[in-house]
Amino acid sequence: MRSAFRPAPLALTVAAVLTAGCANTPWSADNSEPATKASVVNHYADLAHANYEDALITARALDEATDRLIANPTEANLAAAKEAWLAARVPYQQTEVFRFGNAIVDDWEGQLNAWPLDEGLIDYVKADGYQHELGNSGATANIIASNSINVGGETLNVASLSPELLADLNEVGGSEANVATGYHAVEFLLWGQDLHGFESGAGERPVTDYARGADCTNGNCERRGEYLDAVTDLLVSDLEWMVAQWAPSASDNYRAQLTAAEANEGVQKMLFGMGSLSLGELAGERMKVALEANSYEDEHDCFSDNTHNSHYYNGQGIQNVYTGTYRRVDGSLVTGPSLSDLVQQSNPELDARLNNQLDASMEALALMKARAESSENPMAFDTMIAPGNAEGTRIVNDAIMALVAQTGSIEQAARDIGIEALSPDDAGHSF
Amino acid sequence: MQPIARLLCTSILVATSPFAWASDADTEARQQWHEGIATGYQSLTTETSELAESARDYCVESAEDSRARLEAAWLDAFLAWQRVRFVDFGPVENNNLSWQFQFWPDPKNLIARKAAYLIGNDEAITPQVVSQSGVAVQGFPMMEYLLFDQQLNAGDNALPSARTCELLTNVAGHVKSNSGELMAGWLAFGPHYLETAQYFDTTIRAGMATLEILEERRLAQPMGLRGNGKRNPYITDAWRSGNTLMTIEATVDGLRQFFLPGLATLLEAKSEPDLAERIRKQFSEVQQNFPGAHLPMATALNEEDQFRVLQSLYVDISQLTTLVNDQAAVALGVVRGFNSSDGD
Repeated sequence: MRSAFRPAPLALTVAAVLTAGCANTPWSADNSEPATKASVVNHYADLAHANYEDALITARALDEATDRLIANPTEANLAAAKEAWLAARVPYQQTEVFRFGNAIVDDWEGQLNAWPLDEGLIDYVKADGYQHELGNSGATANIIASNSINVGGETLNVASLSPELLADLNEVGGSEANVATGYHAVEFLLWGQDLHGFESGAGERPVTDYARGADCTNGNCERRGEYLDAVTDLLVSDLEWMVAQWAPSASDNYRAQLTAAEANEGVQKMLFGMGSLSLGELAGERMKVALEANSYEDEHDCFSDNTHNSHYYNGQGIQNVYTGTYRRVDGSLVTGPSLSDLVQQSNPELDARLNNQLDASMEALALMKARAESSENPMAFDTMIAPGNAEGTRIVNDAIMALVAQTGSIEQAARDIGIEALSPDDAGHSF
Repeated sequence: MQPIARLLCTSILVATSPFAWASDADTEARQQWHEGIATGYQSLTTETSELAESARDYCVESAEDSRARLEAAWLDAFLAWQRVRFVDFGPVENNNLSWQFQFWPDPKNLIARKAAYLIGNDEAITPQVVSQSGVAVQGFPMMEYLLFDQQLNAGDNALPSARTCELLTNVAGHVKSNSGELMAGWLAFGPHYLETAQYFDTTIRAGMATLEILEERRLAQPMGLRGNGKRNPYITDAWRSGNTLMTIEATVDGLRQFFLPGLATLLEAKSEPDLAERIRKQFSEVQQNFPGAHLPMATALNEEDQFRVLQSLYVDISQLTTLVNDQAAVALGVVRGFNSSDGD
């Protein structure tokens, strides 16, 4: 820990390997047109569009899989729904790099990926294994078991569970922990509470929670199915809206606005998104807080123990934006003019360093993923952060250090290509 | 959508531009900063020693007056920390000392859970146990919980019960030991700090980030001026003891004592004496307008006439933030970088 936040020497030397031949070879290497800020921003919109399309495709598959589970609650259908959820996280987590800087995404994403949640709002929880947000009066409302709930003195009718109602219930009572919608609500409905603490094991919701008649466990199985149906439908329609915002050839969507604005603004949003996700969100909120406080409540995918993948694909999203490449879920590769091309034009040494640092972060995150998915004695993220787990601490810290190091170079890259104010709030000031 | 972003202590490599115009002023400013922060760390060392002693005394012989002394010692030490909390570089980064002193915010009440676990099991609570228990156990908020939490104080484990005392005295000892380590580290760090140009930007950015966090996370968010508009005292510092506003006042006071002198030196050398003066005045303005500082945040948020006092404090601090983070930073060529607040 002593040197955890002295980024330079270790992380920089780790990545001394050249990356020629990898997916991040600059697009301009085999194109005669040099990249410009305008072409880079335009391609960024292409990446976002492809990435959100994949999030939508996999969310539709999740919606269909949960429909099958509700219609026919078998172990096989529960397992298939869980697989579909895990697959849907792969593209979605890569889109998170578009959040910071693009207000349209940040304002929308709370309905899809809010965490941590007070899951007692949605369904039954085990009383002594449940710690909710201080002052949250909706934390034990249990929508599934109720026709009406009372949150903070207000009585709400929840008899009919529609996507619109769930959207209205998100953050009910003004608490951000009242997450009624999105991936983590679906995750909870599929896996249930993880009652294993630091020990190995995820949530173990029985499939009979969706059974009919006398086989139903924990009560309200039909309502639970209705909830799952509505919340997955909402996820699909939310993603449809975002795909449309990034679609080419429209005159009135967000993409049109972004590409019509001054190119520097778009480039600033790209760099701000990379740096904010890298440092404040991924290294800070999602890893350092959980590790330093030994807090599995601060784990991102806490019901399914899929946190390692959420972190890995967040990191991948950052690399995608810098290199202008995205590997789609069908295996095809999207490439085009990139930030890397721009930095290479003015400062090849910095471009090489940042590419190496992005590779080093992905290596560190890949190690976390491999350790969590290892066939022998796997170690999930919630075990890595347990008190006194030296190996787990090292794995998580190495990832944090690599992300911190690359953020320093992202700042330098911003200055190098003439973007001085990284905070969009400061865009009006004369830096 | 996680509502919190705690201080992520980082030192990002910064390409510092040459400051030939004011190399003397730069050196002088860093000397002022180094000495100021040393003074602040020394107070922290003194106050945490007294706190550790008061905790021991109270747990040996608990009486009403020793309880009052202990609570006062906790507050004095915590305020000493608030005065140097802006320093996010140097030895306070080692072993995550900053988070060890203060794990904040704690929306999921992790502190209560960790306390229940440690008090409830049979293992002796030793200094080693505290050092291995994570940042939620190791600092001022844990001691505040043990001293002031209503639920805990109404139950069998209320102080001075043996297990709770064991936890309290060991956490107090841990904080005392960390303060000593921090003070020694800061003195040893002196020569490196004074000769490394990078710390020019780093120190100014530390002050900027502190003002930003004060304005946004310690005032605007709990006041319901951001996001969903809900007023929420639980995300403030020291809500259990009702000392939130005193902690804010102490942070402002620490910036005035230990950060402002170096900043003013630089602005004056850069022919910006007016700006330096306006910043000085604004610091006085904030301190003069402090709403008594003894009002619990929950009261300030619930009573409309008190809330108006809070609003004027918020406006004063916003103006101070604008002067330092926009005008002074621009005058000195310091660019805001990424920081912990960039997450959500």
